[in-house]
Amino acid sequence: MSSSSEFYLRYYVGHKGKFGHEFLEFEFRPDGKLRYANNSNYKNDTMIRKEVYVHPCVMEELRRIILDSEIMQEDDSLWPQPDRIGRQELEIVIGDEHISFTTSKTGSLLDVSQSKDPEGLRCFYYLVQDLKCLVFSLIGLHFKIKPI
Amino acid sequence: MADVLDINDAVDLDVEDEGEQGVLRLKDKVLRRKGRGFGPGEKREQEKIRGYESVDPGEYADESGPQKSVEGWILFVTSVHEEASEEDLSEKFSEFGPIKNLAINLDRRTGFLKGYALIEYGEFEEANAAREALDGSEILGQTIGVDWCFVKGPKKNKRSKSKRH
Repeated sequence: MSSSSEFYLRYYVGHKGKFGHEFLEFEFRPDGKLRYANNSNYKNDTMIRKEVYVHPCVMEELRRIILDSEIMQEDDSLWPQPDRIGRQELEIVIGDEHISFTTSKTGSLLDVSQSKDPEGLRCFYYLVQDLKCLVFSLIGLHFKIKPI
Repeated sequence: MADVLDINDAVDLDVEDEGEQGVLRLKDKVLRRKGRGFGPGEKREQEKIRGYESVDPGEYADESGPQKSVEGWILFVTSVHEEASEEDLSEKFSEFGPIKNLAINLDRRTGFLKGYALIEYGEFEEANAAREALDGSEILGQTIGVDWCFVKGPKKNKRSKSKRH
């Protein structure tokens, strides 16, 4: 794959509470390495940490999903700030652009529509769902685990 | 399951560094940055996580070669018609061997198919035959792409054998 089509993606969601720092994080590196970590202290005290290299065709599909979502055109300036309930981070480097968005946890689509930037937050909300879906399938099938 | 997992703590520093460098290089090249994640006082919540587990690459071929999954060999299918059904896929792919797992995800906004699918076979030969025969074939008049889902990746210098932390 040519270097111009290389990209990077990282997503984090988590909070610090009575079970410590609980979070889910995954990243796709330009060389195809997918890393997945899930630390839930509630059910099991060990962190799930998995990594695997995906084929360029998977990276290409991921790239398509990102571009189709038009997330790169959005801006997090009006999104709810991360708070005690939780925090989400989405970092993507693609072409000439690098976004690093942060916001609180998204409860429901109602929260999204009542926010100051419903359009942008909706875009974020659906992209995150689609990304999780892809990652859970990849990690779940490859390692034969239930990621959540 | 422990016998197929290996842990690479600090053992493969070269590869690890290269991966990190790749990400840094990519970030260096950008012309536009956007988002509160760059703001002052923003601290990434990510912890320095070590000891990621991976499936044993087995006999080493080249790094773009397919990587076996825990229970079989997985293909990644792309450009699947948004109205295709599970049967459309399983009918086509089961000609090459029993399908152990099939994952088709939906677009969360539209409810139609997202466009990709994961299909697992128990045997390498089955998956490879399906890959060769079905890449470029059609489902509901739309040409699909079929290739391996996972590859071995850059060769590690050393590997430490399985032990779960």
